[in-house]
Amino acid sequence: MRIRRFPTVGTAGAVAVALVLTGCSGAGGGAAGQSDPTLDIATMTIPQSLDPVTAVGGALPFFQATYDSLLKREPDGAYSPMLATSWTWDPSRTKLSLALRDDVKFDDGSAFDASAVKANLERFKASTGANAKWFSGLKQVEVVDATHVVLHLDAPDPAYPHYLSDAAGLMANPAAFADAEKLKTTPDGTGPYELDAAQTVVGTKWVYRRAENYWGERLPFDGVTMTVFDNETAIVNGLKTGQVDTAVIQDANQQSSLDGAVGLTTTPVDFDFQGILLFDRAGKVTPELADVRVRQALNHAIDRKTMLEQIRRGKGASTSQIFGTDTSAYQEDLDSYYAHDPEKAKRLLAEAGHADGFELKMPRMSSIVTEAIASSLRSDLADVGITLTWVDVDQGDALRRIFSDREFSGFVMNLGQSADDWLVIKDLVLPGTFNLFGYTDDTVKALTPKIQAAPAGDAVEDVRALNRHLVENAWFVPFYRMSYALVTDGGVTARPQSGMAVPSLYNYQSVG
Amino acid sequence: MLGFVLRRLAAGVFLLFAISFVSFVLLSVPHLDVARQLVGQAATQDVVDAKNAALGLDQPVLARYASWLGDAVTGDLGTSWFTSENVLTAIGNRLPVTLSLMLGVTLVTAVLAFSLGVWAGVRRGVVDRFVQVLGVVGYALPGFLVTLVIVLVFAVQLRWFPAIGYVPLTSSVPGWLSTVVLPILSLSVASVAGVSQQVRGSVIDVLRQDYVRTLRARGLPPRRVLFRHVLRNASAPALTVLGMQFVGLLGGAVLVEQIFGLPGIGSMTVTYTTRGDTPIIMGLVMTTVVCVVVINLAVDVLIGWLNPKARTA
Amino acid sequence: MSTAQRFLRNPQAMASSALLALIVAAVLLAPVLASHLPGAAELGKAFAGPEPGHPLGFDSAGRDVWSRLLHGGGNSLGGALIALVVALGLGVPSGLVAGYYGKWFDSLANWASNFVMALPAMIVLLASRAILGPTVPVLMVVLGVLVAPSFFRLVRGIVANVRRELYVDAARVSGLRDRRIIARHVLIVVRAPIIIQVALVAGIAIGLQAGLEFLGIGSGDAPTWGAMLNEAFQNLQRNPLLMLWPGLALGLTSAALVLLASALRDVLEDRGAPVPNPRAARRVRVDPPTTPDTAGERASLLSVRDLAVSYGHGATAVEVVRGVDLDVAEGEVVGLVGQSGSGKSQTAFSVLGILPEGGRVTRGSVLVAGTEVVGLPEKEYRALRGGVIAYVPQEPMSNLDPAFTVGSQLVEPIRVRLGSSRKAATERALDLLRQVDITDPRRVFDSHPHEISGGMAQRVLIAGAMSCDPHLLIADEPTTALDVTVQAEVLDLLRRLQAERGLGVLLVTHNLGVVADLCDRVAVMEAGRVVETGDVEQVLKRPRHPYTRTLVEAVLDDVPARPAWVAPRIAEVPA
Repeated sequence: MRIRRFPTVGTAGAVAVALVLTGCSGAGGGAAGQSDPTLDIATMTIPQSLDPVTAVGGALPFFQATYDSLLKREPDGAYSPMLATSWTWDPSRTKLSLALRDDVKFDDGSAFDASAVKANLERFKASTGANAKWFSGLKQVEVVDATHVVLHLDAPDPAYPHYLSDAAGLMANPAAFADAEKLKTTPDGTGPYELDAAQTVVGTKWVYRRAENYWGERLPFDGVTMTVFDNETAIVNGLKTGQVDTAVIQDANQQSSLDGAVGLTTTPVDFDFQGILLFDRAGKVTPELADVRVRQALNHAIDRKTMLEQIRRGKGASTSQIFGTDTSAYQEDLDSYYAHDPEKAKRLLAEAGHADGFELKMPRMSSIVTEAIASSLRSDLADVGITLTWVDVDQGDALRRIFSDREFSGFVMNLGQSADDWLVIKDLVLPGTFNLFGYTDDTVKALTPKIQAAPAGDAVEDVRALNRHLVENAWFVPFYRMSYALVTDGGVTARPQSGMAVPSLYNYQSVG
Repeated sequence: MLGFVLRRLAAGVFLLFAISFVSFVLLSVPHLDVARQLVGQAATQDVVDAKNAALGLDQPVLARYASWLGDAVTGDLGTSWFTSENVLTAIGNRLPVTLSLMLGVTLVTAVLAFSLGVWAGVRRGVVDRFVQVLGVVGYALPGFLVTLVIVLVFAVQLRWFPAIGYVPLTSSVPGWLSTVVLPILSLSVASVAGVSQQVRGSVIDVLRQDYVRTLRARGLPPRRVLFRHVLRNASAPALTVLGMQFVGLLGGAVLVEQIFGLPGIGSMTVTYTTRGDTPIIMGLVMTTVVCVVVINLAVDVLIGWLNPKARTA
Repeated sequence: MSTAQRFLRNPQAMASSALLALIVAAVLLAPVLASHLPGAAELGKAFAGPEPGHPLGFDSAGRDVWSRLLHGGGNSLGGALIALVVALGLGVPSGLVAGYYGKWFDSLANWASNFVMALPAMIVLLASRAILGPTVPVLMVVLGVLVAPSFFRLVRGIVANVRRELYVDAARVSGLRDRRIIARHVLIVVRAPIIIQVALVAGIAIGLQAGLEFLGIGSGDAPTWGAMLNEAFQNLQRNPLLMLWPGLALGLTSAALVLLASALRDVLEDRGAPVPNPRAARRVRVDPPTTPDTAGERASLLSVRDLAVSYGHGATAVEVVRGVDLDVAEGEVVGLVGQSGSGKSQTAFSVLGILPEGGRVTRGSVLVAGTEVVGLPEKEYRALRGGVIAYVPQEPMSNLDPAFTVGSQLVEPIRVRLGSSRKAATERALDLLRQVDITDPRRVFDSHPHEISGGMAQRVLIAGAMSCDPHLLIADEPTTALDVTVQAEVLDLLRRLQAERGLGVLLVTHNLGVVADLCDRVAVMEAGRVVETGDVEQVLKRPRHPYTRTLVEAVLDDVPARPAWVAPRIAEVPA
């Protein structure tokens, strides 16, 4: 939020002398209060395209600038009206009725109405977007009248408000669907900003300016610039020199390098957790893993505390559960369920008949599994007799070998912790995405339908029971939740978004 | 000379075809599950297959190459699989950044390396030792370390220049200058070190040539012999090295581009190649080959002008 | 001095190779020197400082830095070695064959080399890593292929040059087979440049390998210096010291390689101060001169007394000319004869004040047209050159600047020395060309040196020497490099010009026939001294000094149709 004006070469010397003489070398580039109405966000996430069907997690702010969603997700995770003014489930929880605003128009003057919602939802379901599977249970979108639609589902799905406040809820002008290629680079929505195509360099920098006559709440910035960098060093330097207003810094060392930087404010963001996603619980690839004692031994073998201290520099909290603190399934005592206890791990292995240990093969993507993680896991497991073999794989290669070829029993992953219980269950517990071998057990089979059919808030006991069951049966080997740093300079404040690594675009405020 | 240039350009076009074919075939080896990366790990196999079909990846390699080539000769290099950018636009956006660096480094290198090299080659003794030590230090220092120190000192501490970002020359000349000075400085260290050694060597070699002695015996002033005759003859090998450095910077400035957050060709190459974004990679390959052919040609023409004997060789 | 001796006496070569040897030894002895495995991690000790058994402390994963440094060196250096072997294996043989036989193989190999050089290296490395797997050796093989053209081009260029050289032709004529010619002559010439290039490429390969690692495109699990640097870079804020060790190892290795390369170049191409056959000068015992000093009368045009020329300094100084007396009167032609290395050319150079680097007049007096030139300031000396003394060199081709046309090389001194206009200078140059019996002066004027024959070039050089109307001509073996028929023509030309212009000539030669043909008087040099001076008649017919006698007898016994071949210096081969 400061004027990004750098002394040109001619004046540089004089400035430098002044800085040296006054002993001032802090981050005092521009005086606070000089307001630049542009918000400069730095990120490492590139959107695949600006077509809303391709929206995913960290790229959501790119879309929130030009598209409104049906529901709005507040920073604390609560849902509030946006394009839809109300949403109600029928008693069977398979019909979701939405009432829509009647005063919103697309840029070409056509009205946003129920048929636009139907077109968008059906297009999302039919797309190859990463989140298209959300709508696998969407049977039909019924247009009641111009401002009312009803979503008919195969089966209850408590996560629908989440979908409609996320990628699936972004409403584009149906007239733009004819030219899908164009929609990839030219957004056509009702959002608070418009893409400034002249200033935008796709792949590097996206520039948005305020949309005239926006129907909704006026955001505090006249313009937003999102710049993509491929490393955090550059972002941190940009924050220090005032060229970047805000960014989320993941790396613990980069976070530390910002400690004491004058004029920058840091807010922790707890979203991703790191751990072994162990999906071979039936022992198809590594037979030993079928025994619950072996999986428990793995959990006891890992020295979470030291890993957190050394690798994350203490920025985070060690845990044994996959549910995040914003879910109702979360129970604090489960964070420390598995203590570092190599003796117990050895005992468990011996009881399971593997006193001599066994070999566990896991893929290693160096972007996630750093040298420190790789070697510490190897030595922790070696201490209890398990031989951990890392197989070096590239990003693209990894996905094929893990998800298509199903070559491994598990892998170390950084995974966002959704604030929605059902979303976590769907992704990690039910057969599918991260449960590729489709393993389940009686408790899970008994609990999940109850959770699925219950009204929000009514299934708390069941999800907590499910969480405890998963932890006790060592379905996973979580290490810790990681604290990222949401950094803002003097001109901006930002609130972290529950269930997202980066704040929603609505969460930034101007100061002064 | 014109015939020579035309022949070289024709060879270049042939090279372009050959390299495009080899690269395309290499890239088509199914090592990167591009569709899976695009639709996310959570997608079902059906979705992955659909994506593959949408990208045309279900076609045989030769058919895909033929269709790529057909589009390419009409100037359509397609769009990126991962960011939906038009390949030509994407490269067009990033090439000026890298070219700015390349030209800047080449200019700095040409001036500094020639001065230092000639100075060392002519004066020898202490001066020569000094330049040699400078060369060895510049060569041995890890490039990123130099870059990091430069960023920390001149951008973060002293604030003389911005730490990150790029301002196009077309929008502001002082802005452009302020964003490229530090990257150019960082890249020039090794480049000056290398080329000055080359110039030194050639100057010493040329000074030993018989014709230099003969020119001196004719009573020509040493300064004239040096600047007119020695420099011209010593330039050819140095130009070759300078040309190679120039080409090398096309993909070799990755680190500097990353640290300075410059959207250049180098960082683009690494990001898009690791993901397997074939349309962009092919665009980059074509760009590189064209640059290499043009630069080599320019160097050869220049050397031919400097040294007529080389024209016939 | 043999190459090995020169190597041993070159402090830079010794120091850098000692450092390299030390590094290689440490790396080879890694299992002995480091008591811990490079992969053994104790996370609790991450970033901890040195402690007994861990002299350099621990890295971010709590592994022993010392052990990783040594084992990593094995992977880094081994990788560079692989790249080198591949590059050499591909580049050298193909360069030899392409350069020697040319034809279709040359075209093909050239095209392949251009192909490889035009490939975007980063993309090729990334793609091959994705296809072939992330292992150091595989990447290094690819890197080797990518740098092979640098060897190919080097070898091909030199071999093509050498093939055109006289001696390979001679070897051909004498019936040696191609394979033996390559082995005996060609390989010897390319050896030095290849060795130098190896040192340079090794440095580049190590650097590139580290660079790849640094970008995270590397070895995966195996420790290398590049991977260590990358890891240190990630943790720069936390422990900057981690950067020091791999950085130092990498820096020292590449610095040592560069220094070794440059020292090797000096040693192999003999780039140090050129000492013309110093051994001969020192060892040969010389009989005292039989002609008494004529110290009294000194000739008006050129008079040399007690001239001594040395190379080097202090104890290693070598005197190559030791007390020479010599006189050339106006209009007189004096021959200076002796074997190569006898100091005759050095004497000529010191009269002109153009001794090669490292040489200097240490004693004596040289009067040129009455002016003492020993110790004369360069500027005043320059005024004598061209105008009073002129020089005709030995090798016509190498004494013309290849970058300029014949005309511009003739015009330049005329304009600089006489201050003529361009037009006048051009007229004069054309006139001079006519005077040296060139039939088509305009064409020669516009030609570049490589476009004219050796004999023509020598005429051009003589014309150049005449351009500012000198009084004294110093001709250094002016016909040695020419064909026999051309030799006679050039001698005729010299004789005519001398007569027309009344020139004084100091003719340096080893050919007594030329002396008999052209000279009035002759001075015989042996090992840096004039051993006999006198009229040509008297010296050739009744030589008094034993050395002169040997020279004269040698000519009578066996009149060589062509002078003995003198090996070209390696320095003339473009590297």
